[in-house]
Amino acid sequence: MASRKRTLLKAIILGDSGVGKTSLMNQYVNKKFSNQYKATIGADFLTKEVQVEDRLVTMQIWDTAGQERFQSLGVAFYRGADCCVLVYDVNVMKSFDNLDNWREEFLIQASPSDPENFPFIVLGNKVDVDGGNSRVVSEKKAKAWCASKGNIPYFETSAKEDYNVEAAFQCIAKNALRSEPEEDFYLPDTIDITNNNRLPRSSGCEC
Amino acid sequence: MERSGNGASSSSSGKEIADAASDQGSIDTSESVQEPGSSDGEAKQAMENKEDEELSRGLNEISIAKGQSDGNPNRSSSGESSGTNGAGGEEMARRVSHDGNSWVPGKRHADEDDSSESWRKHKKHFFVLSNAGKPIYSRYGDEHKLAGFSATLQAIMSFVITSGDCLQLVRAGNHQIVFLVKGPLYLVSINSTEEPYQAMKRQLELLHGQLFLILTKAVERCFAKHATFDMKTLLGGTDIVLSSLVHSFNWNFTVFLHAYACLPLPYAARQTAGAALQDIAESGVLFALLMSGYKVINMVGPRKASLHPDDLFLLSNFVSSSDSFRTTESFSPVCLPHYNPNAFVYAYVQYLTESVYLVLISTSLDSFYHLKDCRARAEMILKKSRVLGEMSRSVERGGLRVKDLSLDSQNGFTARKPDVVRENTKTLLGGPAGLWHFLYRSTYLDQYVASEFTPPLHTYAAQKKLFRAYQRIHFSMHDENGGHHKMQYRRDENYVLMYWRTSDFELYAAFDPLAEKSAAIRVSNLVCQWLRNLESEVFLLGATSFNW
Repeated sequence: MASRKRTLLKAIILGDSGVGKTSLMNQYVNKKFSNQYKATIGADFLTKEVQVEDRLVTMQIWDTAGQERFQSLGVAFYRGADCCVLVYDVNVMKSFDNLDNWREEFLIQASPSDPENFPFIVLGNKVDVDGGNSRVVSEKKAKAWCASKGNIPYFETSAKEDYNVEAAFQCIAKNALRSEPEEDFYLPDTIDITNNNRLPRSSGCEC
Repeated sequence: MERSGNGASSSSSGKEIADAASDQGSIDTSESVQEPGSSDGEAKQAMENKEDEELSRGLNEISIAKGQSDGNPNRSSSGESSGTNGAGGEEMARRVSHDGNSWVPGKRHADEDDSSESWRKHKKHFFVLSNAGKPIYSRYGDEHKLAGFSATLQAIMSFVITSGDCLQLVRAGNHQIVFLVKGPLYLVSINSTEEPYQAMKRQLELLHGQLFLILTKAVERCFAKHATFDMKTLLGGTDIVLSSLVHSFNWNFTVFLHAYACLPLPYAARQTAGAALQDIAESGVLFALLMSGYKVINMVGPRKASLHPDDLFLLSNFVSSSDSFRTTESFSPVCLPHYNPNAFVYAYVQYLTESVYLVLISTSLDSFYHLKDCRARAEMILKKSRVLGEMSRSVERGGLRVKDLSLDSQNGFTARKPDVVRENTKTLLGGPAGLWHFLYRSTYLDQYVASEFTPPLHTYAAQKKLFRAYQRIHFSMHDENGGHHKMQYRRDENYVLMYWRTSDFELYAAFDPLAEKSAAIRVSNLVCQWLRNLESEVFLLGATSFNW
């Protein structure tokens, strides 16, 4: 299939502040990593073109702020998301515990048409830190949680060492494409001339 | 955060507003013209700027480099010679657009995105995005590459919307960012063209109307069902329609006048055309239109329904922008947003001559062969009666010229001999009293007539400038401050501009900047007199069942 239409996917990255959302996105889009922490304000937006099987996909990535004071932005940001990336820090238990909240909040605010099968992905980030010695969330525990939420795909990542980042985003793009709605739902009406269903004409100058 | 839009800086030049004209009569030169100071306006402007500065803080993402160079490709230096030969203003705009080095239809600079220096320098951007932040249309650059930029716009707009308010206008230096929310569609223009906020809002509304004409309001249902809906995929192949529309924002007076223009034609010829349309309209055709470019020759519709000037404009833009309509008979679903935004009607389009086309609109998907028969019947009548030739000659001859305005205005306009006109054009610059151009809108007909652009308005740049000057006057006379004035006379380094409104008409006239006020007023009266005499030739009068 030579000329399949280009697809745009809106991906939201969620997770506690400091778990490395921006770093993951930067690694994925710009192949860059910085050790300096710079809190995201509101949201950052990046674009990346990827090839998924035979399709050319533009990923519109919404990197949101993790701080609670930005949570009110949720509705505005989550609307129309095609997929959601949940990120936690394998070295911080609280960030893992909060995944539940992030997921719930997203489903409430984005209200996707099929919440059961909405394409999430979970990333356990910072697996590089201290050679894994400071790790407090085991892979097993994380995978169990993912399984309980409808088999969410799980990836262990390191934004710093560019470990698994590409694979994780490739997976989310693929899953999002799979859950695209059918396209034949755009069906305009035709006028039935026997019903007088036209609108009254507004008067000439309304400037 | 609500920004009411009247931030146009009409304060800088010495504006003189006169309340002199009585409603019906002619302008009386003896009445004194008031010249109010502009300090009030400037103070207001300064205040707004301050507010806007605050607002624009934190908008780093979308602030656009204040490029001084004119990145707008719509300029033309090649229109130099085209002003004097016989083509309508609109035909001329088309011609300028076809000569290669100026306006090119369709998407331009498609390789650019918001990181390109050149992209940031374009003077007038238009964006359409969904309320999820997905890009739908951008005048410049590739929509997909602008996905991040779209998201930024959506984030800013949604942030304000979530708080129960609506963002209308942001000023940042010499740029203004104008927002329009239409259900799930967000429309934005970022520009440094100094057009009034109301003008930009109107242009965004027309852009929205054009999208509806192509897709209907049904797209809103799609967004309601799936917020992830990617509307861009439905707009394939329409770049040319949208770019032509945006181009028309620089030259088509319909854009701010809410009125349409007619192809000048002897009354009898127009009647004959009307009769031909009436004949087929009675056989189940919803609307029958005979057009040339954006100009109406005649049209017929159901007794109570009428075609809104905006629908007419968007439809004619749709048809005349696409070359594919020129080469073959076509049948296309279209939506007439003011008639019924929810539904498609079906348009049969066929060019009868190089410049004259027939549009037959039906509500039935199966009507192609019937409409084809109707066209054949109408075409036969038009050919037999030779009015088709008459139309072509009118297109060739062009519209009214300021030089033809004389004290002896009793002669019918279309009775002139074309070669005489050409001769005049060579020797004279400007009309009587330095009249360069006029634009006359009939209130009751929702129609306007404009004179041809002749030297010194023969370049596209000069025409665009005058268009914007008229547009500025229009909005200054139609906002809540200017609403009660009847007249405006202003002089700057470019022109003397006259605006005059009565209950019957609005007149815009441009004169040489050195023109005398009394002479300008006298000539404006003369123009109105002239147009009253020519009314039956330059306007479509209510002789058909069309009730406006």
